[in-house]
Amino acid sequence: MDSDEEDFVFYGTPIEREEEITSRKKKAVAEASGQLRTAVPWKQEVRDEEGRRRFHGAFTGGFSAGYYNTVGSKEGWTPQSFTSSRKSRAEFKQQSVQDFLDEDEKDELEGRSLETSMQFDTFGFTAAELARKQAEKEQEKRPSAIPGPVPDEVLVPASESIGIKLLLKMGWRRGRSIKESSANSLYDLRREARKAFLALSAGDTAGKSASSELVDNDVEDVTDPSADDGTVFSRSTPVYVLNPKQDSHGLGYDPFKHAPEFRERKRSRMLGTKETLHRKPFPVGDSLFGFKSGRVAPGFGIGALEDYDAEDEDVYASGYDFEESYVEETEEPSKPMNENIKLLRNKEDGLLPGFKAASNSDYQLERFGPPVIPKDFVPHHKFTAPLDVGNKITEETPPEVPPPDDNNLKLMIDGMATLVARCGKLFEDLSRQKNQSNPLFAFLFGGNGQDYYTRKLWEERQKHNDGKKWQLDGKIFQNVKKMTAENRGKILGEKPLERSLEDTAVTAASTDTVNLQFNLADTFTKPVSFGEDPEVVKPFQDDPAKQARFEQFLKEKYRGGLRSMDVGGSSQMSEAARARERLEFEAAAEAIEKGKQGKEINTPSQLFAGVLPTAGLQFTSGEPEQAKASKEELIKEKRYPRREEFQWRPSPILCKRFDLIDPYMGKPPPAPRPRSKMDTLIFMPDPVVAAKVEENVMLGNDQSSLSKVGSEEKGREIVDEEIKVEVNVENVEKPVDLYKAIFSDDEDDDEDDSNPIQAEDPQKNVEVVNKTLNRLIAGDFLESLGKELGLEVPPDLPYTENRECGTASSKEVIIVDREEKDTAGVGSNRSSVGYAVTGSFMTAEVARASNDKQNTTGSAQTNGSRKTEAGIPEKSGRKDASENVKKEERKTKSPTRRARNWSSGSSEDERSRKRSRHRHRSRNSGSETSDSSDGSRHYSRSEGKKKRSSQEKSSSQRHSKHRKHRHRDSPETQRDSRYGSRKEHGRAKNRRRHKD
Amino acid sequence: MSNAGAESLPTKEVNVLKGHEGAVLAARFNSNGEYCLSCGKDRTIRLWNPHRGIHIKTYKSHGREVRDVHVTPDNSKLCSCGGDRQVFYWDVASGRVIRKFRGHDSEVNAVKFNEYATVVVSAGNDHSLRAWDCRSHNTEPIQIIDTFRDTVMSVCLTKTEIIAGSVDGTVRTFDIRIGREISDDLGQPVNCISLSNDGNCILASCLDSTIRLLDRYTGELLQEYKGHTCKSFKMDCCLTNSDAHVTGGSEDGFIYFWDLVDASAISSFRAHSSVVTSVSYHPKDSCMVTSSVDGTIRVWKT
Repeated sequence: MDSDEEDFVFYGTPIEREEEITSRKKKAVAEASGQLRTAVPWKQEVRDEEGRRRFHGAFTGGFSAGYYNTVGSKEGWTPQSFTSSRKSRAEFKQQSVQDFLDEDEKDELEGRSLETSMQFDTFGFTAAELARKQAEKEQEKRPSAIPGPVPDEVLVPASESIGIKLLLKMGWRRGRSIKESSANSLYDLRREARKAFLALSAGDTAGKSASSELVDNDVEDVTDPSADDGTVFSRSTPVYVLNPKQDSHGLGYDPFKHAPEFRERKRSRMLGTKETLHRKPFPVGDSLFGFKSGRVAPGFGIGALEDYDAEDEDVYASGYDFEESYVEETEEPSKPMNENIKLLRNKEDGLLPGFKAASNSDYQLERFGPPVIPKDFVPHHKFTAPLDVGNKITEETPPEVPPPDDNNLKLMIDGMATLVARCGKLFEDLSRQKNQSNPLFAFLFGGNGQDYYTRKLWEERQKHNDGKKWQLDGKIFQNVKKMTAENRGKILGEKPLERSLEDTAVTAASTDTVNLQFNLADTFTKPVSFGEDPEVVKPFQDDPAKQARFEQFLKEKYRGGLRSMDVGGSSQMSEAARARERLEFEAAAEAIEKGKQGKEINTPSQLFAGVLPTAGLQFTSGEPEQAKASKEELIKEKRYPRREEFQWRPSPILCKRFDLIDPYMGKPPPAPRPRSKMDTLIFMPDPVVAAKVEENVMLGNDQSSLSKVGSEEKGREIVDEEIKVEVNVENVEKPVDLYKAIFSDDEDDDEDDSNPIQAEDPQKNVEVVNKTLNRLIAGDFLESLGKELGLEVPPDLPYTENRECGTASSKEVIIVDREEKDTAGVGSNRSSVGYAVTGSFMTAEVARASNDKQNTTGSAQTNGSRKTEAGIPEKSGRKDASENVKKEERKTKSPTRRARNWSSGSSEDERSRKRSRHRHRSRNSGSETSDSSDGSRHYSRSEGKKKRSSQEKSSSQRHSKHRKHRHRDSPETQRDSRYGSRKEHGRAKNRRRHKD
Repeated sequence: MSNAGAESLPTKEVNVLKGHEGAVLAARFNSNGEYCLSCGKDRTIRLWNPHRGIHIKTYKSHGREVRDVHVTPDNSKLCSCGGDRQVFYWDVASGRVIRKFRGHDSEVNAVKFNEYATVVVSAGNDHSLRAWDCRSHNTEPIQIIDTFRDTVMSVCLTKTEIIAGSVDGTVRTFDIRIGREISDDLGQPVNCISLSNDGNCILASCLDSTIRLLDRYTGELLQEYKGHTCKSFKMDCCLTNSDAHVTGGSEDGFIYFWDLVDASAISSFRAHSSVVTSVSYHPKDSCMVTSSVDGTIRVWKT
């Protein structure tokens, strides 16, 4: 065959190599393809796909099963071919009796068979047959348990013998005796005669007696039916009684075959039960319980090995309970269940003698009853602490007093009143005590402004109470509870635990540090632990006004979002002072928090000793180390147990098995942790980075010594901006890591802060302070953001919001202003790359101070709406932004060249242009500095920048960011800065190299 | 108060359950305290009625020593583990192994059912916790927790948490409900952990012969109990049914009772001739079973 086929292969390669296929297989294939279907069917051989013949067994056809491997026969039978298509579905065929009947059977069935006509049907056989068939037909129509025609033997009694038929024809009826019919008639005759005789003898009383006789007769008839009809003849001929099968034995099985003596007993019992049945309408219950108790099952079906004890005696009993056959039927449905239970029980406790399954498992739901209320409980709370909430309201209203002329004093009084109102009388006493010698606090001792103070206090209290009334119970109760919780241990005589808060508080107070404990019944919405602590450190005790401002500051800080209004007293203070103070506050707050974190307030006075006098800059250097050191001490001291928390992802099935809801349900599997911080930098679009590098290079080329400072600052600015962007990126990716990375990145900051240049110029300081302020604000924002997010990756919640922002801000212009940069080379101005990250508006804009005085303060603007808008930036938006940056850069290139002059005028121009980019909203809180420093806000630009300016106008806001200090900032700020630090670092080096 | 407590302590031996050949490594009451299970070096698990002092059944299938055993709340299933790196899931009545969970790379130290007896959690020498599903026929672990840096010695389950103590010095709580792992570093290898009956504290027996009481919610160290020897054996500790005392064995065969609050050793007596490997307290009554390397299990009552 191979050779044959080889002749026909001309083109291409054969699909299969012929040698590999066995000849058998080939044959099979050929057969299947119909090539060999030439032989007559009975000569064909059936083979499987391997070409083998199948041997079916010596007695079952040998190699061919059925009729030559078909299901046909010699006569032929063609199987129905199964066809089913979409249009004509194969229908399910219902087989009927007809399908299996022969022709003659069918004939017979339809009555076409030969039979005796009715005319000659002497004995009614044909009629009976007909009736039977009729009945059969009816039966078919009726639904029945047994399908098809019911066997005649079951339904129809055996046909009567000819004798019976004759008797019936003669008027004999079934059950009637043949012999005694004459006796009966005799009896009847006799009765008739007697009646007649009586009727005759009665005479005139006939009517009555007859009637009585009739009655009598009737009575007799009724009372003696047996004499009349039933019993007599019933005994003569056996009545053919169909005994219904009432037991569940097999047909023909007689349980009493070898024990006939029980048959009688059974019958009597059955009669008994029947009687009871007649007596009682519902004897089921009785028999249900009755028969089980006494009798033992006949032992049929119980294995030899299974010993039965009291419980399982009736496992099979009911099945062989002949007596109860009637009742059993009613009981039937419940039986299997019963049996199951019994079996189950049997299995459970039968095997281990001495072992018993728990009667009650702990599966039950826990139900908690209501707590028992002690008898002497009065459902009215009495406040132990002299909280002046309700009682003070009743005080008479102090007269309205005009505020004192001294604005400072007024502010101080205001602040004091607020605090006292909030914290209670205790605070007033304390501060009075502390400030006895302080002339500023004369109002507390009846000096200047006391009236105003009283009035103010009253007002504040009113306000406070109003605001608090609705939440009065909860808040105060909590406070009181807190107090008692501390004392509870003492009351119970427990040994005070180490490191208890109380202890530290006491020690701190004893060292005469300003550690005030008062009931902070603040109404402000602090989301942090700060407000929950009943104690607040007062770092500015020596300056109560300042302290008041500090409180205010804290309040605002934790109100969430940005502080929008002036801090109290700011109107009198110079901007520089205000900024410095703000920094101080930040530092103090941070220190306090740090102390709290360690659960030990490291005598704040110490902390602040290093901090406060050297306000602005100095606290950049010392403090973190100090804090760190103290922390380390803490760790050493209470090293163990140390608690850490991690994220852990239980598998869904585990949750299911524990009957809990998967906390990570629907969330994607955890992303692999970023390998390094550099990974996140990859998200930075390259062009921007490149542009920056370029900038730096150019800056580095500036030779003027003055520009050195500026350039560094500029570099930092840029870096800050980068930070911002990166922070956003981080927010998208993994905020938790973001914060971790922020906090772990201190060393770079240190180096930055040790920069000596910063300390030189007071103006510079101011600027620096401003920058820091802005960063703090940004930090606030970040913190609140973090809180909102709960430090977790938000799936994609504020998407819609972002989209809006995104569209609005996609036009936000990202500018790399070359010109400005170049002019900055003169040393006057520094520009920045401000770019808006979509949705976030996390722009950083630099206004850089220079030698000229009037420009000292860069405008610092904070965007009030940042919190909401900055939510979660979209990546794509960011990309757009970066592209914009690129474009913008290209656009600006030509004007850049043009503007390359070194005149101061041009620098002025640049400045204004730059400033024009600072868009403000009316809400902008940070505008305090920029507005006041140079009020000019230009929205016009030189004609070369028209395009850009229009774009910018569409952008709603800008924020300038001034950052210098990374030290002493609240941790939020550090968050801000950490990304840049490294880069900045490198860049600074770069610059230096260039300068050299 | 402490004196009154001492009187109620089970210090009277009522039964000695003998039958194990070799060291008994663990003895555990069942959930209602009616029976007790023990397992040991002889590769068997035995079911006892400690109150009547009778041995009910022996479960043999383990190939090496059996280190821990636990029974479901309805007494119908057992789980056990040991040196053969497998967790066995038994039918109590028939004594047959329903399933064997293979997967641990090393010996398995502890095993526990969860509340619904649907999951078995095992703690192994391979630094991991594994959760096995009893419902399905899947013999793969449904969860592997391998954040431990050393052998996991002991495991406890609550309704929502898996708590395990490890030789790396940590007690780790895995909260399934919030998907969080809380690690409390004790600085000392943790030998055994046990939950207080109110569920608020963890008792951790460390290998520096100190039992530490931790507050579960704050991770604070509440108390330390010292006086016994526990340096190299896996030994149990537990709280009494009233949470008033801490009890634990010692390597010299003593049993110690400490006052929960002031950490004073109220009572200590020699119970066994060798290391006390396990103590188990009756959930309701003042009754305790202890097992020892000397091959006996002793039942103590007041």
